[in-house]
Amino acid sequence: MSAADSRSLSAASRHDLPADPHAARGLMEEFVYDDAIVRKFVLASLVFGVVAFLVGLIVALELVIPSAMQWTVAGVRPFGWLSFLTNTWFLSFGRLRPLHTNAAIFAFAGNAVFAAVYYSTQRLCKARLFSDTLSNLHFWGWQAIIVAAAITLPLGITQGKEYAELEWPIDLAIAVVWVGFFGVNFFGTLARRRERHMYVALWFYIATIVTVALLHVFNSLAIPVTLGKSYSVYAGVQDAFMQWWYGHNAVAFFLTTPFLGLMYYFLPKAAERPVYSYRLSIVHFWSLVFIYIWAGPHHLHYTALPSWASSLGMLFSLMLWMPSWGGMINGLLTLRGAWSKVAADPILKFFVVGITFYGMSTFEGPMLSIKSVNSLSHYTDWTIAHVHAGALGWNGFMTFGMVYWLLPRLFQTELWSRKLMSAHFWLGTIGILLYVIPIYAAGITQGLMWRAFDEAGRLQYPDFVETVMRLMPMYWIRVLGGTMFLVGGILCLYNAIMTWMARPAVYAEPIQRAPALSTTFVEDAPPASLLSTNPQFAQAVDSKILQGWFHRIWEGRPLRFTVWTFIAVVVASLFEMIPTFLIRSNVPSIASVQPYTPLELAGREIYIAEGCYNCHSQMIRPIWAETKRYGEYSKPGEFVYDHPFQWGSRRIGPDLAREGGRQSHDWHVRHLENPRQLIPQSIMPAYTHLLKDDLDMPGIQKRVDAMAMLGVPYGEAVKPGKAEEMAREQSNKIAADLVAQGGYPNLENKKVIALVAYLQRLGTDISKPAPASAVATAGGN
Amino acid sequence: MTPNQPPLTSHEYDGIQEYDNPTPGWWHAIFVGSVLFSAVYFVFWDHSDLSWSIHDTWKKAQVAEYKRIFGKMGDLKPDQATILSMMGKPDMMAIAQSTFTLNCAQCHAKDGGGINGVNLTDDHYKNVKTIEDLYKTITNGANNGAMPSWKSAFSDNERVLLAAYVASLRGTKPASPKAPEGEQIPPWPKAQ
Repeated sequence: MSAADSRSLSAASRHDLPADPHAARGLMEEFVYDDAIVRKFVLASLVFGVVAFLVGLIVALELVIPSAMQWTVAGVRPFGWLSFLTNTWFLSFGRLRPLHTNAAIFAFAGNAVFAAVYYSTQRLCKARLFSDTLSNLHFWGWQAIIVAAAITLPLGITQGKEYAELEWPIDLAIAVVWVGFFGVNFFGTLARRRERHMYVALWFYIATIVTVALLHVFNSLAIPVTLGKSYSVYAGVQDAFMQWWYGHNAVAFFLTTPFLGLMYYFLPKAAERPVYSYRLSIVHFWSLVFIYIWAGPHHLHYTALPSWASSLGMLFSLMLWMPSWGGMINGLLTLRGAWSKVAADPILKFFVVGITFYGMSTFEGPMLSIKSVNSLSHYTDWTIAHVHAGALGWNGFMTFGMVYWLLPRLFQTELWSRKLMSAHFWLGTIGILLYVIPIYAAGITQGLMWRAFDEAGRLQYPDFVETVMRLMPMYWIRVLGGTMFLVGGILCLYNAIMTWMARPAVYAEPIQRAPALSTTFVEDAPPASLLSTNPQFAQAVDSKILQGWFHRIWEGRPLRFTVWTFIAVVVASLFEMIPTFLIRSNVPSIASVQPYTPLELAGREIYIAEGCYNCHSQMIRPIWAETKRYGEYSKPGEFVYDHPFQWGSRRIGPDLAREGGRQSHDWHVRHLENPRQLIPQSIMPAYTHLLKDDLDMPGIQKRVDAMAMLGVPYGEAVKPGKAEEMAREQSNKIAADLVAQGGYPNLENKKVIALVAYLQRLGTDISKPAPASAVATAGGN
Repeated sequence: MTPNQPPLTSHEYDGIQEYDNPTPGWWHAIFVGSVLFSAVYFVFWDHSDLSWSIHDTWKKAQVAEYKRIFGKMGDLKPDQATILSMMGKPDMMAIAQSTFTLNCAQCHAKDGGGINGVNLTDDHYKNVKTIEDLYKTITNGANNGAMPSWKSAFSDNERVLLAAYVASLRGTKPASPKAPEGEQIPPWPKAQ
């Protein structure tokens, strides 16, 4: 441990912190940093990290075991016992995958961010956190949200929007904890700071808090139906736009900006080197914040999103390349002259690998956003590999580097085992490579197979499952890589617990001394202009703007800084949102597209609850190979009643946008009961419970009424009891047809009938004649 | 410390200092380049008449395909003579086989042996008496929707080819044939 840090070990001494030379001296004040809250967040991050990695490993296994289950060695099926993973209703891939992503993002990375913010902000502000009560409310509130997520997601309580699955009561809690506890606590600390200017790490924290609040609130707007069910206020194309505005910027402002702030504090601390360039910090911060917000539509290339939005998404992603790399340059070049330390210190190794993965991911992101590259990569594992390079490499390794640096300081003792830390580094690094390399290969393989034609102009791999089977060896390597990363995480948690066990009986709480900021402070005058020529205007621009003087002023004024950050983010968002919502030609209406019947609406809810969208898209792109495989490409007007949209982002199974009418009811029921009785190689889970569980018929009316509130023209179905009556009529009809087709009897009250009704409706309206009553119904009620 | 150490700024936060290094030239060059490229791209692709859309490209592929497959023969009639003559054209049967694998194999199996749907290789049929009935069944569906209607999914020509392909499956030897269903019907007539 360095001399500079050993001060925290001696309890009795008082430290005069160097006074801010820009502050006129106020009264000397004494205070103590709150490290107890940081200890809590660090341990929570590690515990939930292990959970997130473990659930990730389980879902990775779920993709390989359906085929592995059938292997026989000497008459024994060594993987047979794992079949419970494919047929236990609450453990299916569609329900656990959102648990994995939410745990990794909000529990593992989230708690790490809070630890980083709370540790560094106190020191950068020379102030204890604003309120211990708020700190603790923040901690326990956030953990309660995580536990609520871990319970509700496997139960199928979900809004069906990726990374925003949590239902409305939890959404409200998130808003309260984020803004009311975390935000107030952070900005309160800024207000009480004893350091005039804010360091770059704080800028990134400000951008994080402001933007995540905006994203969360506006993407989650929904009409509640019951405690566990709500409908997004947006539909179809607009819902897709909002969702990926949110989804992309969750990556930007939850997984990038706070981690850049983390890097800017902990990297120079660990390396004991000055940051490479203050000017680069300014330029890359503002360009990043302003440009990132626009890039969301690159998740929707070749979809029914209007072309101008798609173009903006791509172009702002390209422009984002350098602002992102600004952070990487500032990180890596800070280590210039300190590379010998890197070789010796596993903490710096974690940081270097983390920043390198950041650089790779932020090059790859712009590349994947190029439309023609995206036409190959989209819906394949390429995206999965990309996000894991970012999440495991950048978020994971920056977190681990920070944690190992913090452990001896927080627990005021030596790290329990440096050897274990080193082992974690190598296990983790090799684990990431074994994860991402085969998954890149899987993505490109499957993307090429989907679009391959033979000389006769036929799809070379018309059988979808064949393109899935080809990936199995690569999926097995991923299981190995994921296991290594998980073991590394467990080693880190173990090391942390052992370090904690060796803590002192009472933590030393050194008293810090620093003068308060004076209220009569006079800002530095702008520097002399380097321009010798007139006019004065040019000289003023040079001295106040080009030389960065204005920014130095902002750095001393958190409120002004926050307002400008807010403006940058909101203006950029509105440029895309206003046209998306107001220009009618973006979504030309189709007269024959009608609302889902009450029964189909109930079926759609089952589709969402089971998380079908995690593996099946509902968006046929205008690409020849795709329309050949799935039928006519999807039109914007087909989704106007889809609250929420279900376009999906990955095709582990085939697209379902035109599934309606392609199979008999009987086929669907048997396929849902156990897909392998019809498609022996299928890796889809079995949904036996849908054939046993009763459908909540009386509850359908509330759902129809809520949809009608959102403007869906339900006509007379909103009359009390009418929706249920219509649903029963349709389910009796389907159940009767099912029996006539030679299918199972007595299913008319079961969930499976509603789901089949929904599946049989998908994509069929476009080829129907417009109903004569369409205009009248739309105007009714 | 190298002799040409860059100047430090006057800032110091919790012991962290910052160099006053200029931003790298190549960084500026690529950033400005990406902005200029974006301006040109946006004007050309989204605000000029010279560009084409992804839908135009798709349409071109569609026109080319229809021309290649059906260009010489025009509209096919769903009658006995046409279906029989298509059965004798290996290139047409190859196209129909692809359609069959993509859309029909999930119920009838890739080799026509039947899974959930009937076996198409034996001499027994449920809804077919003559070869034209194959076309009618594909078009309208049968057995209360157990066999869906494919009228909106495929063009008339595609359904004629599909009928011919299904007819050609009769008499082949599938890997695991389903038991015969329906009634035995006489063999298809010979092509003229």
